[in-house]
Amino acid sequence: MEVDSIPQQAQETIEKIDNADLVVGILADLEPERVTMLCEDLQTLDGSTRIVVLQNDKGSSPTSTPSEAAAKGAFPFLVPWPLLRPDPAGAPVLSAFAAYQAVFAASEKLGARACCMVASKLENAAPRWICQLAQPMLQSNLDLVLPRYARRKLEGLLNSGVISPLTRCLYGKRIHNPLGPDLGASQRLFRKILGAERNGRAGGTHPLASLAPVALCDNMQVCEAHVGARSYPPTDLTNISSLITQVLGPIFLDMERNAICWQRTRGCVPVPAIGDPVFVSDDTATPDISRMVESFQLGNRDLQEIWSLVLPPATLFELRKLSRLPLEQFRMPDELWARIVYDFALAHRLRTISRDHLLKSMTPLYLAWVASYAQELSTVGEDAAEQRLERLSIAYESSKSYLVSRWRWPDRFNP
Amino acid sequence: MWDQVKQALMQSTTRFLTRFASLLPGMVALILALLVSIVLAFILAYVVRRMLTRLRFAERLVQWGFSSRAESPTSGPAVLVSRAIAGLVILVGFLIGITAFDAEWTSQLARSALAYIPNFVAGSLVLLVGIVVARFLARSVLIGAVNMNLQYARVLSVGVKWLVIVLAGAMALEHLRIAPGIVQLAFGILFGGIVFALMLAVGLGSKDLVTKSLERDGKKQPSEAIEDPLRHL
Repeated sequence: MEVDSIPQQAQETIEKIDNADLVVGILADLEPERVTMLCEDLQTLDGSTRIVVLQNDKGSSPTSTPSEAAAKGAFPFLVPWPLLRPDPAGAPVLSAFAAYQAVFAASEKLGARACCMVASKLENAAPRWICQLAQPMLQSNLDLVLPRYARRKLEGLLNSGVISPLTRCLYGKRIHNPLGPDLGASQRLFRKILGAERNGRAGGTHPLASLAPVALCDNMQVCEAHVGARSYPPTDLTNISSLITQVLGPIFLDMERNAICWQRTRGCVPVPAIGDPVFVSDDTATPDISRMVESFQLGNRDLQEIWSLVLPPATLFELRKLSRLPLEQFRMPDELWARIVYDFALAHRLRTISRDHLLKSMTPLYLAWVASYAQELSTVGEDAAEQRLERLSIAYESSKSYLVSRWRWPDRFNP
Repeated sequence: MWDQVKQALMQSTTRFLTRFASLLPGMVALILALLVSIVLAFILAYVVRRMLTRLRFAERLVQWGFSSRAESPTSGPAVLVSRAIAGLVILVGFLIGITAFDAEWTSQLARSALAYIPNFVAGSLVLLVGIVVARFLARSVLIGAVNMNLQYARVLSVGVKWLVIVLAGAMALEHLRIAPGIVQLAFGILFGGIVFALMLAVGLGSKDLVTKSLERDGKKQPSEAIEDPLRHL
């Protein structure tokens, strides 16, 4: 994103500020008290740190001018900034991506050494969690700090089912939330992201989806910070396909861009974690999986023609068997799900069909996995959920050779 | 009298043979043009078939939604295209051979045929584009309807596809100037019929399903947002 696309009023404010050490972008719709608490936590950082907080706001002006604030030593300085614009296409995820880009651009303009993003409302937040995101970059020269949320077993399903195990398998690091959304990035990292965007690399980098892959492929220092439990907004089942398209599209593009890097990666190691884990009670209700299974069965009946362009006959056969199972016995094996994700990633690269159609046709398969996962965990505790996800990640890793073979020689396994 | 009959017969035979002799060069030219065009057609068909096979034409057609595995005949798309090109070359050779007769009606026939070729090309292009658009839209509607849990997704998809194909076909026939009045009337009836059939299928035939779907979405949606514990992102 070029500086010229930053709103005029915000650009003037930035020019008055001149420079900062840390830029914090608040995308979440936080209450004023929470913003105040955040600012108070930020003030506990090293006193000489110049901090600018960009708050998603609609038109209010800062209460004091930058020079007045600097004279009083009153950092962090709060700048209202329309980060999240209403997207006429109804794509909130894309709108969030643009907001990240705007914060990175502002950080580069201010010459900041690091920037942090606050995109969630946290429950049982770890004390001074924002400092845990910022300090490693300011004091220990870390490049990327990703969050580690205390999660209930049925939260963050797209991340648990696809994003996290896929990132772990490809890049060899056990990262629980590669897409944040609360995170900290060093100057080196966000400049690299902005530079790649300006140079127009194939497909462009995504300011959020590309952060972890770029950092890991360039051997940058990555760690996780325990921040608390995230408050997840409810998802409309009718919009799942748009969500999958907006999230998995950039991830599959990154796979294509970083193919040389992940094909060489072997094994998987944990990343350092900062802070103490936060625990939450898991008293979630049992979900109704019948609608998701119906959606999968309908997809299996009507989308065979499309799936047959992407999936090999063995996988299609297993899906047909799965669709005939009664609800109580509905279980999708981890290896099957991992291979399906890999096949779709390959089809995305080969442009077997329109990419938009491809990702939307993946929706019934994703819902089948969610139904299987939810049914399996409906009667077990939180520890069992962690072990279950660990088994899924291991299935992704054990199927990596399948991915590499198909990626290098797509004709050999061409369905 | 017999001398006059004999003379008349000899004159008519002479006229016929003279006329036939005057046609001979034209006939030889026609046969030669046909033979040359057949040879050229075979060579061109072979080259085109090899080129399309190297470009994986059949696979790309499947990607673009032109044909599925079940529809592919034993002679693949590359063979069909090469045969069509060969036929066109032979037709052109035939028309060239006909103009060698130097008769007014043959020249006129050749001129009309050659003047018709741009219309034929435009009509074929319109039909081709229409088929591509129809397949793309049908796939979009199918995926969207399946993701919305509509049981009649396939009916909707097929209906949309045939609507677009009928429209493209009518436009192509208009380019070809084939019975325009009848085509317009037939198109109107067919298009309206398909729309009406879709309306009945969706509105009346699956009325219960639609009602249940809407009721379920209307009643459950607020509570689903509260009770559904699943969070995806």
